[in-house]
Amino acid sequence: MFRRLLIANRGEVAVRVARACRDLEISPIGVASESDFGARWLDCMDEVVCLGPSASRESYLRMDRVVQAALQTHCAALHPGWGFLSENPRFAALCEQHGITFVGPPSSAMEVMGRKAPAKAAMRAAGVPVIPGSIGLLTSVEEAVVCAREAGYPVILKADAGGGGRGMRKCFDEAQLRTAFVQAAAEAEAAFGSGALYLEKYLEGGRHIEVQVMADRFGNCIHVGERECSVQRNHQKLVEESPSPVIDAATRARIGEIAVRAAKSIGYVGAGTIEFLRADDGAIYFMEMNTRLQVEHGVSELVSGLDLVKLQLHVAANGRLPLAQEGVKFSGSAIEVRINAEDPSNGFRPAPGTLAAFDFPRDVGPGTIRVDTHMQAGDAVSPYYDSLIAKVIAHAPTREAAIETLLACLRRARIEGVATTLPLHLVVLDSREFRSGTYDTRSIPGWPAANR
Amino acid sequence: MTREILTLRVRREGEHVLVEAPSVGHFTESVAPGGALLAGAKAGVLITLGRAFDLVVPEGVAGVVDGPVHERVHAPVGYGTLLYRLRPLEGASAAQASAAAQESKGAPTFRSPSAGRFWHRAAPGEPALAKAGDVIEAGKPLGLIEVMKTFTLVTYQPTGGLPARARIVRVLASDGAEVAEKAPLFELEPA
Repeated sequence: MFRRLLIANRGEVAVRVARACRDLEISPIGVASESDFGARWLDCMDEVVCLGPSASRESYLRMDRVVQAALQTHCAALHPGWGFLSENPRFAALCEQHGITFVGPPSSAMEVMGRKAPAKAAMRAAGVPVIPGSIGLLTSVEEAVVCAREAGYPVILKADAGGGGRGMRKCFDEAQLRTAFVQAAAEAEAAFGSGALYLEKYLEGGRHIEVQVMADRFGNCIHVGERECSVQRNHQKLVEESPSPVIDAATRARIGEIAVRAAKSIGYVGAGTIEFLRADDGAIYFMEMNTRLQVEHGVSELVSGLDLVKLQLHVAANGRLPLAQEGVKFSGSAIEVRINAEDPSNGFRPAPGTLAAFDFPRDVGPGTIRVDTHMQAGDAVSPYYDSLIAKVIAHAPTREAAIETLLACLRRARIEGVATTLPLHLVVLDSREFRSGTYDTRSIPGWPAANR
Repeated sequence: MTREILTLRVRREGEHVLVEAPSVGHFTESVAPGGALLAGAKAGVLITLGRAFDLVVPEGVAGVVDGPVHERVHAPVGYGTLLYRLRPLEGASAAQASAAAQESKGAPTFRSPSAGRFWHRAAPGEPALAKAGDVIEAGKPLGLIEVMKTFTLVTYQPTGGLPARARIVRVLASDGAEVAEKAPLFELEPA
């Protein structure tokens, strides 16, 4: 196993990876931008290297500085977390070039799957159903217009290198498409360092179902069940759960098998997620593969009892997967809500500030509560980065019990000083649509459309 | 061999000037205490992923190295690591007053609605949304503000005593500048 590992990320994921490092007796080394340097969550690191100014592109996105930081702190491996450089094949290649093990798939697999257009092509070739749209990347707005005419409106523009809803635009006609193209490209360029876009037919509604996979370097691959992520706003996930209320055992086995086959076909290694769209008629389409750990990995951990980050580190260090598919057992239901520093009553406006109080009770039942966060009372929420400040996950024998456990925790949670999505989650979890499991990506269950 | 150049970061602390690393890497060829650092002079080398950068003293800095002593060559440093503390050079003129753009006193000023990065244009390569000389009214787009990776259009709102119709005298925040909430963005005059 590695002795020192650089965590090339910040906030909640950096803390999560550091925890797995401690469990495996690896010394975690952190990085920070100028404004993050000195933050309390960095206390869990054995050493911290300051990378640059606050803007991500001058710090967390600077490949040369991150790899140099790993070298000069004598790290044998680097965990990219999620976002930032986690899905950048050039970055993975740069790590390998300097003798640092990149905790993730080989750059060749990232090249195919991390970029959405080649991923779709690979899946099309493998016979997995995909959504109609552009074949490859769009080079101009004119090409987008032609492509949209063929697929039929509405269409959706997506950032090739994207994720988390950034650089995405829904368009109902040509005029909208022309305007959105420029904005989406600019947003993608700023967030991911690449303005490349592709387009596909926008399928109204449907459900976002994703399958967690984990592969080692010896050709073994397992899936860890599905996650339901249909409670979204502007393609940003708000609530995630496993198992999905609409997936039966037979479907679970089928999509799990497709996901494992897809991962094996490209020589995948490490943790990955295959995202599917389940249309209203039950048809399943491949959407994309995320070649990294996901924010919502915790729900899969709770229902499977596996520690996905430890497994990632284990297979990165040339370990064999310690279990086969038959050994993956699922128990109960897990539901996660994302606490973002955004004001849901004010158009989800970002709300940086200082947390006066930040407390989630754990002594609630009938299930158990897990809170993943890097923040505590007195900490400042930075205006420079993602608004995620905590994930609260409930695990219980049944879905109903998990909802009750989560509601009990959130009702007594104290967050002061910063507006968050907490009030939204109280409404969503208690809504008839959510409780019955009859919602889709179109609306937030129980939340008035006017406030989206 | 001409090397690539990186300009050192400087910060003032009382009469001392603190010179800091501008990037991550191994720092070497440092100037020993007692040596003078003058604007434009080389003051060490930073090696990042095998590429060596000459570290150069920025304009407006002149002083004698007071510390710290670097005990080893190829010392690992991060962005902002203190490299030199300078005391003023004997006989050097007092530090010149900062020539940073000052707001003209009393002139109406349009301020940033929130903290973030201020962008002049809607997309790279496009013209700036607003420039000096433009006459603006309520609702006129002035730029974009980037907060937590989200871009929001900044439009003119003639509140807080600002004129309903105004001419932009000066643009006070550069393109891509990090701005605080209520930071001045545009100096205006009634039009």
